[in-house]
Amino acid sequence: MSLPQQQHEPADEIVPAVRIRDLRKAYGAFEVLKGVSLDANDGDVVSILGSSGSGKSTMLRCINMLETPTGGEVSIGGETIRMKQTKAGPKPADRAQVDRLRAHVGMVFQSFNLWSHKTVLENVIEAPLHVQGRSRAECVEEAKELLAKVGISDKINHYPIHLSGGQQQRAAIARALGQRPRVMLFDEPTSALDPELVGEVLKVMRALAEEGRTMLVVTHEMGFARDVSSKVVFLHKGVVEEEGRPDEVFSSSRSERLRQFLTR
Amino acid sequence: MDFSFFLSAFLRLLPGVPLTLQLAFVSVGLGMVLALILALLRLSRIRPFEWIARVYIFLFRSTPLLVQIFLIYYGLSQFQTVRYSVLWPILRQPYWCAIIALALNTAAYGSEIIRGGLRSVPEGQIEAARACGMSRITVFRRIVLPLAIRQALPAYGNEIILMVKATALASVITMMEITGLAAKLISESYRAVEVFVVAGSIYLIINYVITRVIHLLEYWLTPHLRSVSTPVVIEREDAA
Repeated sequence: MSLPQQQHEPADEIVPAVRIRDLRKAYGAFEVLKGVSLDANDGDVVSILGSSGSGKSTMLRCINMLETPTGGEVSIGGETIRMKQTKAGPKPADRAQVDRLRAHVGMVFQSFNLWSHKTVLENVIEAPLHVQGRSRAECVEEAKELLAKVGISDKINHYPIHLSGGQQQRAAIARALGQRPRVMLFDEPTSALDPELVGEVLKVMRALAEEGRTMLVVTHEMGFARDVSSKVVFLHKGVVEEEGRPDEVFSSSRSERLRQFLTR
Repeated sequence: MDFSFFLSAFLRLLPGVPLTLQLAFVSVGLGMVLALILALLRLSRIRPFEWIARVYIFLFRSTPLLVQIFLIYYGLSQFQTVRYSVLWPILRQPYWCAIIALALNTAAYGSEIIRGGLRSVPEGQIEAARACGMSRITVFRRIVLPLAIRQALPAYGNEIILMVKATALASVITMMEITGLAAKLISESYRAVEVFVVAGSIYLIINYVITRVIHLLEYWLTPHLRSVSTPVVIEREDAA
């Protein structure tokens, strides 16, 4: 499988890694997302803030179609996900296209979601081996490097249940990296962790940001959002209430809601 | 106690063991395939498919296996179309009728066990599989089914043991497996208690072996549920 890396694009045109246009999501009559637009270019680290129920996780999950948007458009690396109308609402028109694009999007979940019947190493090589069809030797070697990077080389043959939450989440990050993703999505990666384990995960995420990884991070970690991200997006009741560089957003927020949110 | 009679009865019943095992394993094997199909139909969220599976499971779980065996062996041959069909060479044989009845019956129970296993797979692990680009088939093959099997194995082991015992019913359609031979020996010797004790012991031995094998299989399939302190490869690599 070929990865749509930079070499596939014309050099003079910036194709955003992720582009969201007028994204909408409703559950019945209840609209969670009321038209959200967002661009993330290669190398951007976008922190998505908002109180619970603001739609931030839903937005993130719409990017790789874990949630099906009821309106709007999502593009990954310049390729727009084609949708079709059905009686039950919009659906992706081409499941194979979604699968193909998902392979370039690494996802890190709040509750880790490691495959419990596989060791840490097997978790990391699963997608490269069985989705991207790379050779086992290559996958294993790369997985070992990734696990060293996230600092759990010693747990390589352990099963997820034998790891602490922080170790599980770092393994999950290594698993996402194993896809050689163009963009990484983090859905509240530290929210399920004990406070003393949050730091080790944030440290890994900072290192990834410094490497120039493209990341979209739904988080409650204000320190991370302020220091690491290149852009902060504040969602409130399904719309982008404010967005900008972190220094602007944090020091001189225009929106009353964001000020309230930040002082809490 | 006439020990020599026990021994001779044991030797007379032993030739029935291969047939008992054949009936059990062929029907469990075929039944498992059908059970998986039924479980998938039941979970398909397609109404007509769901109902086919529901009705099937209801019919085969709610009627006695003995009745099912009789209906398949004696009942089907009442229909001329069956007698003239290409399946007749199979359906005229008690061996295949017994296997079909046993397989159809175990499929009904097995499908519920498998359905429970499939439903026990955590949604988050399925999502993680979809999120990395796995096709539906790959998600099922690599994540859902392996986890479901591990979950369903103890209950399925139970079903396999039940099936070994259920093969005794095949004796009513002339199959000379353990119970069939036992009935024959009783009619010759009139020593029902001793013969049945021997027959029961043979089933006991078979099921003991099967139980051990299932335990081993379970142990081998679930290293992720064992505590780390168990001496496995992991520990040695840790020390290195």
